[in-house]
Amino acid sequence: MAIQVSGITKQFGTFRALDAVDLEVRSGELLALLGPSGSGKTTLLRIMAGLEFADSGSLLLNGEEALSLTPRERQVGFVFQHYALFRHMTVFDNVAFGMKVRPRGQRPTSTEIKRRVMELLELVQLAHFADRYPAQLSGGQRQRVALARALAIEPKVLLLDEPFGALDAKVRKELRRWLRKLHEDIHITSVFVTHDQEEALELADRVVVMSQGRIEQVGSPAEVYDRPASAFVYEFLGQVNRFDCVVADGVARTANGALSIPADGTVRGPAIAYVRPHDLGLSPSAGGPGRVSGIHVVGPDARIEIDLAGLPLEAEMDRERLSALGLRPGDQCAVHIDRARVFPQP
Amino acid sequence: MVAATTSDAVLPNTGGTVLSVLRKPSVLPGFGLTLGFTLTYLSLIVLLPLAALALKAAGLGWSGFWDAVLTPRVLAAFKVSFGLSLAAAAINAVFGFIVAWVLVRYRFPGDRIVDALVDLPFALPTAVAGIALSALYAPNGWIGSLLMEWFGLRVAFTPLGIAIALTFIGLPFVVRTVQPILQDLPPEEEEAAAALGATRWQSFRRVVFPALLPALLTGFALAFARGVGEYGSVIFIAGNIPGLSEILPLLIVIKLEQYDYAGAAAVGVLMLMASFVLLLALNLLQAWMRSRHAR
Repeated sequence: MAIQVSGITKQFGTFRALDAVDLEVRSGELLALLGPSGSGKTTLLRIMAGLEFADSGSLLLNGEEALSLTPRERQVGFVFQHYALFRHMTVFDNVAFGMKVRPRGQRPTSTEIKRRVMELLELVQLAHFADRYPAQLSGGQRQRVALARALAIEPKVLLLDEPFGALDAKVRKELRRWLRKLHEDIHITSVFVTHDQEEALELADRVVVMSQGRIEQVGSPAEVYDRPASAFVYEFLGQVNRFDCVVADGVARTANGALSIPADGTVRGPAIAYVRPHDLGLSPSAGGPGRVSGIHVVGPDARIEIDLAGLPLEAEMDRERLSALGLRPGDQCAVHIDRARVFPQP
Repeated sequence: MVAATTSDAVLPNTGGTVLSVLRKPSVLPGFGLTLGFTLTYLSLIVLLPLAALALKAAGLGWSGFWDAVLTPRVLAAFKVSFGLSLAAAAINAVFGFIVAWVLVRYRFPGDRIVDALVDLPFALPTAVAGIALSALYAPNGWIGSLLMEWFGLRVAFTPLGIAIALTFIGLPFVVRTVQPILQDLPPEEEEAAAALGATRWQSFRRVVFPALLPALLTGFALAFARGVGEYGSVIFIAGNIPGLSEILPLLIVIKLEQYDYAGAAAVGVLMLMASFVLLLALNLLQAWMRSRHAR
């Protein structure tokens, strides 16, 4: 089912959480709402679910105006960051809840409910925990129960609010893969909120980058990473070196003249240049302008801190390449930029 | 290997004291000190007077005790005291819950004042409450006269009056035990229920209420215990007709006035046993409910 958001605005006191947001969620896709805290992503998700009320705008669920519908009429599955499982119910009862509260006429029989619940618990690989209480499960297991519970009402849309936010790194990664696979299996239109760019880029079909109640860019993970529409998106997605510079004749120069970067023709005057650490090339050079001030090895990668005439830079390369270059802390080096983006000074 | 296991097995006994067996390794300091203090304090403040009471009653002997207690007048007062305390606690459980709900969930002008009002039954001397209530509910009082006129209902100087007095003094217990739990209830669980298609009522009945039930039971138990022991407010409104509206605490006072100290102690012990059994049952019920979803 497709979701059409148009002109949604939401104000909390003097704080504008959403500022006339337009967004289309395509049927069957897995969409990420990505942004820093306070960017309005969770508010937008909660408005879609009917847990929050928009001040103005419209929301179409499958072409039908939904803002005036209650959450129960919208038939959306919602997964909370902190699981929000019913503490006093077993895993089984948690998952069965959505079916048990249906009006008498639409309620499945108890054997049918039992069959469905066990099927869903099978799906989230928790069938043998049916009689446990949420407090007896780990975080990752609880979130899978929450997911099974949301799926039990056969929702047309699945909305997930920072679903992996409360989990530790390893479990988060596992659950991420698992959710991706689940989505490939059942193809339910899904929107998830995250502030973790890696999560959004890995998991989503399309990524919506939000900032200060507005949408900065919508696109596939590759699109938003390779062709960021704004300085904000560039800075938010991944590590970045940032320079204040002035553009003249298609070349951006930093104030101290240590670096010149090719800039495309549209930008002129004061600007900001961005270079990803892995787009920064180094070569040992005794008279080079840069000095290696530190090297950190993280797994197979090496992060090299460079001091370029007072300008701190970070470069990234794999360890083998670093040892081939033979750079050590304190060495002088030359710096070349393979790829950069220049945005006009805001 | 064998030597190691034996020395391991011996280790727990090296402390030699009972405490070291009870004690589990913990970074929290002062286990021995605080446990000792607690036991001493409880013995002095609670157990000693109760033991003295039991001792006094024991002077009657086994059959003497039952003879003193199993009289029609004592049994009738027992029914009045316990029956009406339970009824008042039940009334408070319902309406105290509603008061707590309104105070936590809604903001309205004067909500702070209402919140403060709830505690008044704690602060007011119970005799004052009793006199005020009996003035109101007496057949010529403001409310009493209306009830009399409209329904022919007599409140003051009947068991109904006792129930009203016990309800009055028991209210804060339920409100003050339910309120903080309701306040801390995460809104997500209700939101989850709504998103899963539950109506407001369903989400209350199946999600909110079960979470509050242990606290509600505590409030009920406290209100009940307070009601059983209540004296001041009841004697003014009860009429104190033996066999009809006489409460156990009053009966004890009457026995004391007749210098029947052992008989008074026997009634006291009876109350103590009954209260203890009921409160223990409530506590166990609660512990069982909590254990089902405690971490």
